[in-house]
Amino acid sequence: MKKKKEGLYLSDRPPLSPLGKVLLALSYVVLAVWSIVILWPLSQMVISSFNGTQTKNITMGRRFEFSFKHFEFLFKETNFLLWVKNTLFIAVATALLTLIIVSFTGYAYSRYRFAGRRASLLSIMLIQTIPTFAGITAFYTMLSIISGFAPFFSRQLFLILIYAGGGIASNTFILKGYIDSVSTELDDAARIDGCSNMQVYRLIIMPIARPMLSIIALWSFIGPFMDYMLAAILLTNNESLTLAPGLFTLINDTRTMNQPAFAAGGLLTAIPIIILFIALQNQLVSGLAQGSVKG
Amino acid sequence: MRVEMKDIGKKYEGRENFTLRHIDLTIEEQAFCVILGPSGCGKSTLLRMIAGLNSITEGELIFNGKLMNKVPPKDRDIAMVFQSYALYPHMSVYDNMAFSLSLRKEPKEVIRDRVMEAAEILQITEYLYNKPSDISGGQRQRVALGRAMVRKPRVFLMDEPLSNLDAKLREHMRVELVRLHKNLGTTTIYVTHDQTEAMTMADLIVLMNDGKIMQQGSPEEFYHRPENLFVAGFIGSPTMNIYPGMIKDGKFISKGGALEVEPAPKDAQALQDFEGKDVHMGIRSERLLSGKDEKNTFAAEVDVIEMLGKEKLLNCKMTDGSDIVISVPGHFEYEVDEVHNFHFDLEALHFFDSQTSERIS
Amino acid sequence: MKTTPLLLDDIGNVRERKNLYLKELFEAEAAGAQEEVRRIKAARSDHPYIVSLKEAQARETQFLLELKKKTDEFERTLASDDPLKKLKVDTFEAREKAAFYQPLRELSYDFELEDRINHFRLHQLPRIVADQESLRERIAVVEAELSRERSQDHGAYEQETVRFRTERKMRLSEEIDELKEKRKERLISDKAYTNEKKMAQLKTRDDILARENSHPVKLLEEELRNLRHRLKADKRLALKVLESDISDVRRKTPVETEQRFPWRSIVSIPFPGIGQFLNKQWQKGILFLLASLLIYLVAIPYALGYGNYQGSGISGLISLAEGGARLDRSIIFMVEGIIAIFLLVFAAALLLISFKDVYTTEKRKTQGIRPFTWFESRQTIEEKGFPYLVSLPALIVIVFIVLVPIMTTILISFTNMDPQHQSKFQWIGLANYKLIALGQGIAGSAFWLILGWTLIWTIGATTVAIAIGFFLSLLVNQERLKGKKFFRTVFLLPWAVPAFITIMFFSIMVSSTGPITQILKTLTGQIINIKNSSLLTRIFLIFLQGWLGSAYIFLLSTGVLQGIPSDLYEAAEIDGATSWQKTMRITVPLILFQTAPLLVGQYTFNFNNFSIIFLFNQGRRFNPTHYGNLAESTDIPISYIYKVTIQNQYQGIGAAITIVISIVLMFVAWLGYRNTKAFKEEKL
Repeated sequence: MKKKKEGLYLSDRPPLSPLGKVLLALSYVVLAVWSIVILWPLSQMVISSFNGTQTKNITMGRRFEFSFKHFEFLFKETNFLLWVKNTLFIAVATALLTLIIVSFTGYAYSRYRFAGRRASLLSIMLIQTIPTFAGITAFYTMLSIISGFAPFFSRQLFLILIYAGGGIASNTFILKGYIDSVSTELDDAARIDGCSNMQVYRLIIMPIARPMLSIIALWSFIGPFMDYMLAAILLTNNESLTLAPGLFTLINDTRTMNQPAFAAGGLLTAIPIIILFIALQNQLVSGLAQGSVKG
Repeated sequence: MRVEMKDIGKKYEGRENFTLRHIDLTIEEQAFCVILGPSGCGKSTLLRMIAGLNSITEGELIFNGKLMNKVPPKDRDIAMVFQSYALYPHMSVYDNMAFSLSLRKEPKEVIRDRVMEAAEILQITEYLYNKPSDISGGQRQRVALGRAMVRKPRVFLMDEPLSNLDAKLREHMRVELVRLHKNLGTTTIYVTHDQTEAMTMADLIVLMNDGKIMQQGSPEEFYHRPENLFVAGFIGSPTMNIYPGMIKDGKFISKGGALEVEPAPKDAQALQDFEGKDVHMGIRSERLLSGKDEKNTFAAEVDVIEMLGKEKLLNCKMTDGSDIVISVPGHFEYEVDEVHNFHFDLEALHFFDSQTSERIS
Repeated sequence: MKTTPLLLDDIGNVRERKNLYLKELFEAEAAGAQEEVRRIKAARSDHPYIVSLKEAQARETQFLLELKKKTDEFERTLASDDPLKKLKVDTFEAREKAAFYQPLRELSYDFELEDRINHFRLHQLPRIVADQESLRERIAVVEAELSRERSQDHGAYEQETVRFRTERKMRLSEEIDELKEKRKERLISDKAYTNEKKMAQLKTRDDILARENSHPVKLLEEELRNLRHRLKADKRLALKVLESDISDVRRKTPVETEQRFPWRSIVSIPFPGIGQFLNKQWQKGILFLLASLLIYLVAIPYALGYGNYQGSGISGLISLAEGGARLDRSIIFMVEGIIAIFLLVFAAALLLISFKDVYTTEKRKTQGIRPFTWFESRQTIEEKGFPYLVSLPALIVIVFIVLVPIMTTILISFTNMDPQHQSKFQWIGLANYKLIALGQGIAGSAFWLILGWTLIWTIGATTVAIAIGFFLSLLVNQERLKGKKFFRTVFLLPWAVPAFITIMFFSIMVSSTGPITQILKTLTGQIINIKNSSLLTRIFLIFLQGWLGSAYIFLLSTGVLQGIPSDLYEAAEIDGATSWQKTMRITVPLILFQTAPLLVGQYTFNFNNFSIIFLFNQGRRFNPTHYGNLAESTDIPISYIYKVTIQNQYQGIGAAITIVISIVLMFVAWLGYRNTKAFKEEKL
């Protein structure tokens, strides 16, 4: 279908002028060069992770010898699997918590007019331009206070709260914008059909907002994979680290340094995320764009 | 069901004035009532108050003798069809129609029977398993109707249900709605700004403006006996010819002086009290007769001719420059720029008090 | 409070007073006849109206006492397990009351109200009872039928169902085969095929379900379920309707009171709940009493230092553990003080809400409007309170994760918390800010240098990324270009690979033995160690961010490009535009316009882009002569704050820097928001 259309369209165009041909060729060259600029470093990472001759420092020009040695090191000598587990746990919990909180606030802010609605959202949006990290000393202190009251409340749980809390305002804004675009006549129809407030929310609005909810969930899920700083500061124990600070120990700390193993770990982490991004690129970008346009 | 409104008023929170007030209206069992009015006149608010979607600030809403002011919408035994149809996009047509019944935990068999019954009447059985986004506007309209029918409500509320359809389909659905109403016999309250819909479908028309009822009555009454200037100007296409002027020696003399009319005896009697006062006179375009008469004749120059097929609309200028629209049968021959004589069918004159804009007589 | 001879009900109707004493009194007051007022007041107990009212009230008390006995007696005549017992007793009571209050209607609005309410009840309760009874009977019938049907053999029907199911399924597969055939012959598209197939499956499922549901037992079960649901729902609805009718009467029947001074609201200011009790709003009172408990058992004790983890409530904020035990830490005292403040603010809000509630009720009562019943209050709470209720979790999280930490940071910036003063520190006023402004001291000296580089970095890195991304998207989206899909996928990679991985790997690649260094060596013949040169590190960082950030910009502008309607270009072509002009006049402005907010976002993102600065080279290169011991030459504020606060524990000065930077950021953000539609719109 699409191809046909393009074909038809092409025949409408005048034939290419010589200058046009040169420009087109030039475009190919530029695009090819940039593709190499992108692919070369990434390929280096893949190659070094499989190159058995690489030692602790990755060096160019070594003989290539295929081996899983660095992966073995990663799984056996480091806490890689634990880091994956921690990251997954934190990511899933963050996504869930964000969804629960934001789906309610997004609905309330979109459908109800109440005192302090505008002021609260805008002031939180402004306050959140302050980097989350600004409160780090307080986070530390609150952790020690909380551990006094409730010892089961681990640093990881606290991290989840910070990740989720940090996104409340902007996610509420995004979801509110989306729900605003759903006609309120649907709510009315549902009320006449016999829904209570909660049923309108649960049976009508949430299913309709599902595309935007999944984008919000996805972004909150990816956040903990990408963040280095907060995790590095708050999680002190090597076994409780997430992937970013965990892998960093493989290149930063001379005692544990092993660059090819880092490449291997990076590869394993990147592949699922790359697949996710490529599969969902349109939704992810549109989610971002909508949030900002409405904001 | 009989729907009564007693002195109903609505004031939105944070607004100075009442959006509508002093609405007294009784809609008899099985009636097809059309609430008509220009946009912003409060007609949708009134409908939403009947539905329970908007609260009632003052007055009483009574269904069959029972006070309904505080009863939630779902318990009023009503169904509503919305302008945008408001079909749930994530449910199939079947689920859309079954939604209200399944919320009431009706037996599945009953739900199925009712949905199928409605679907057959509306001829949408083929699309039952489609999503609303997969079907056309006209079909969506039917689904919306079906969703309302399935509940077997005692009152149908419709908020401009045909305004999103194209002209041809609208005409078709109008007939179908009337037929449906005849078969089901459910009291129907229908809101629209389209006078054609009102005139063709209603048993009872309620014309609103500025939050007040201007006139209520049958389509005939509306056409032949408009209660005030607003109604006279709103109903009828082409719009009624209306001229300001005054009564002098029992005669109506228009402001520009082009018209001098001696009213029929029964009007003349009513106009006695208005001797020397300002009044408006109106006449519908089809009640103007061509040719000369002994009295009440005027000359007009044909400016533009609109050919509608069975009739022609002559847009004319009178001697004082004011406009008049005259409709003549389609086969009559008139040319632009010709001057002709016309006179009035005296039985069809409408007089209004200029001060109160109420009908005289 | 103002009193008038006439009464207002809640709808705004003016009503005549029934209390003749008050009528006379207020009329005299309105006329300004002081003498008369005094006389009427003095003769209050002798006023004929008051006398008859008192007498009627005495009779009422007597009646109520007797009624209690009568209802008890009546209750005993009912079966003790009668599920409708309460309704029946209520009916009995309503009948007695209606008879009693009827003749008193004209005496006072209170009696009139009782009369009208009980007439409503008398009218509606028996109907509810009858409905419930008939429903119960129906349920009993259906239950009996069901048990009979269950005991019978439905083998034949079930077999028939099985046969029906297999047949129907066979028909489905035939239908699907037919569709497949059609698709093969290209009579229908793939999409139509999947659609049709899905619909056929749905229809089959539905037919089978319908067949199964018409099983005699199933039918009865469903009916029973519906009846049981109705039994509950109908009763709830009927009672609700009755309650709303009653509340409607209350709204329309005024109340008369001699009270003028709002003593209840004033007396109950410190104790939410008491005022509501005084207004006879019991349930609401209990709710507010919970607020009282919260205030007096949680907020105030905490603020006074009880129940603290270590601190001493508000006073801890002032003392900062000065002179406390060796283990006491100032920072904990500070955070607990802040928490105490938040609790107090919350408590004050509760007090205010309660006062307003009691005061409004009292004030309305003097005008003639009856206080809300619990039914009415509950409705208001359900309607108006819903958004607050569902936002509560968000509020709590935000208070603890955003507000308390930010308050803490603000306060720390006024202290001397540094490596020497970790466990105990003191207030030092604006000293930290002074150091920053003057560019002095351990951390202040590097501040302005860092800010300079940060500006270059933010503008440079973002602009490079935007330029590359734009340019690439224009190239890739040329109509004649082939291989769009490949290029799009490749160009997306820098965005899809987690940034920390690429940054760390680039860091490896430019280390002394890394691939990039090796290549540079073969190209130039000398070893260039990028990480050892400030300038080279900076340049490399900007290009690295260009590499990383361009992918996102590429995606964004590709999205916009594809959305530009082609008639724009066609119109331009007819107007005689060249393709260069089309690009510059249509494409570029449109992309810029649509992505502007996101592009601005990219600048703020890079201003705070900790990962790239820190993970690439930890902000190095080290340059103590200019930057002191804490900062390094590629540090941006956020990595600098990290070093000052986390690595070197100069929390005081770190907080001050944070605040300064945040204020700037907030100002910039505010400038941005101010102009967005959302900010201006009333709708927000």
